[in-house]
Amino acid sequence: MSVDDIADIDRKKNRYHFDRHTPEYRLQFEKITEEMHARCPIAWTDTYDGHWVAAGSSAVFELARCPAVSNHHDISGETPFQGITIPKASRATVVRGGILEMDEPEHSIYRGALNPYLSPAAVKRWEPFVDEITRAAIDERIETGSIDFVEDLANVVPAVLTLAMMGIELKKWKMYSEPTHASVYTPEHSPDRERVNEQHREMGIDLINNMNEIRENPRPGLVNALLQLRIDGEPAPDLEILGNLGLIIGGGFDTTTALTAHALEWLGEHPDERERLSRERDTLLNPATEEFLRYFTPAPGDGRTFSEDVEVEGQLFKKYERLWLSWAMANRDPSVFEKPHEIILDRKANRHFSFGIGVHRCAGSNVARTVFKSMLTAVLDRMPDYVCDPEGTVHYDTIGVIQGMRHLPATFTPGKRLGPGLDETLEKLQRICDEQELARPITERKEAAVID
Amino acid sequence: MKVFVDSQRCQGHTLCSMIAPDAFQLSDIDGTASPVSEVVAPELEDAVREAVQSCPEQAISIEE
Repeated sequence: MSVDDIADIDRKKNRYHFDRHTPEYRLQFEKITEEMHARCPIAWTDTYDGHWVAAGSSAVFELARCPAVSNHHDISGETPFQGITIPKASRATVVRGGILEMDEPEHSIYRGALNPYLSPAAVKRWEPFVDEITRAAIDERIETGSIDFVEDLANVVPAVLTLAMMGIELKKWKMYSEPTHASVYTPEHSPDRERVNEQHREMGIDLINNMNEIRENPRPGLVNALLQLRIDGEPAPDLEILGNLGLIIGGGFDTTTALTAHALEWLGEHPDERERLSRERDTLLNPATEEFLRYFTPAPGDGRTFSEDVEVEGQLFKKYERLWLSWAMANRDPSVFEKPHEIILDRKANRHFSFGIGVHRCAGSNVARTVFKSMLTAVLDRMPDYVCDPEGTVHYDTIGVIQGMRHLPATFTPGKRLGPGLDETLEKLQRICDEQELARPITERKEAAVID
Repeated sequence: MKVFVDSQRCQGHTLCSMIAPDAFQLSDIDGTASPVSEVVAPELEDAVREAVQSCPEQAISIEE
């Protein structure tokens, strides 16, 4: 054994067998998190060719903002930069994951094109539009007294809004939604995988068709924003545009669905808290939303690659080593959060990392909060006595990528419809979207959507 | 009390303006925050202190 090998063993002396893709990780999340916080807030694990895991809030905070920690994904495979996924996806990867797999200065060039569509002011304009999708989705079920909160509500609203913001036809939401969710929860070896991959390919083709259409005849939205972007006078490469569109869809759909489903499940189990949240929503809705984000952390973490040797928090890291930043575990750090494993709706000083930390702060965070709040308050108003059915509830088996749910069936006292169903509403909203050019950036349009 | 937002650190999480909407304003373009006024009105001091403790990026500082 060489001197270097011995130094390496010493450097990796804080070890923890960490495999976030196993069902055990989901089932024992609290215990594993507590062990790692107590013993090794930064640990080496041998899983997936070996990588570091940051579990403590302070470690995650410093590493996520460290200039020697890279998001870059080298698709050619010539350098060991593998982006944000650990392990690397087994599916052939042909595009980078948009801005989330870019470093500065490239990242900011693309991000700058997207921000004016996604800022708090930009998203606020969509509120009446979002509430109308929510209203229609609930109207589809309100007279029956039963709903699957995932299938009938939380899958619908984020998908429709995301397509609207992109400038893609609203009626296509299912074609985009199904493979986006299914590709997260369907294991690689599942017999369903080929069908899901086929649906995913169809979605990809539609996305390319939209891109070509919008290039020929520009219409407002995020697709157009990326097509109009110029880098040193040149258009962005098509593959980078596609990567960013894939990121917007992946980031926009499954995460908000996951947050909403988990919050509704918890509120169903805690009817007193549900009643209080509804009653005191003026002051409680914001902190409760942040607390659900902290506790459930729908996107539980991100991978990185060290681009240099660096020492952070007393730990020496070597160039090209890989790192898992666990937002989910940092969000339970007892040195930051009192009673970290409890949901406290009015929690103060809630420094959660559920949207990441540093320059890669989730670009859609304002969209996520707006859509979540619309769905949650509509359920509180229209189905205040709902009871979830634990027998029919299906969580994702693993939470390595998204802490999500496939089904959350519930029953409630039936109510009256307030307007037309989903299909008719989407036709109307499409017209409104086109006439009012809602998908323009905030720099070009300040007014809120008007639902006539 | 005076309040400062480090623009190099702020990433537009928006928690400060959620907690103290009268003390922090957000950029229309990217949601990054700045103080409405460097000198904090006495009735906003508690909310600004809470915003300091809530900022995920630790970008807000105060001078008492």
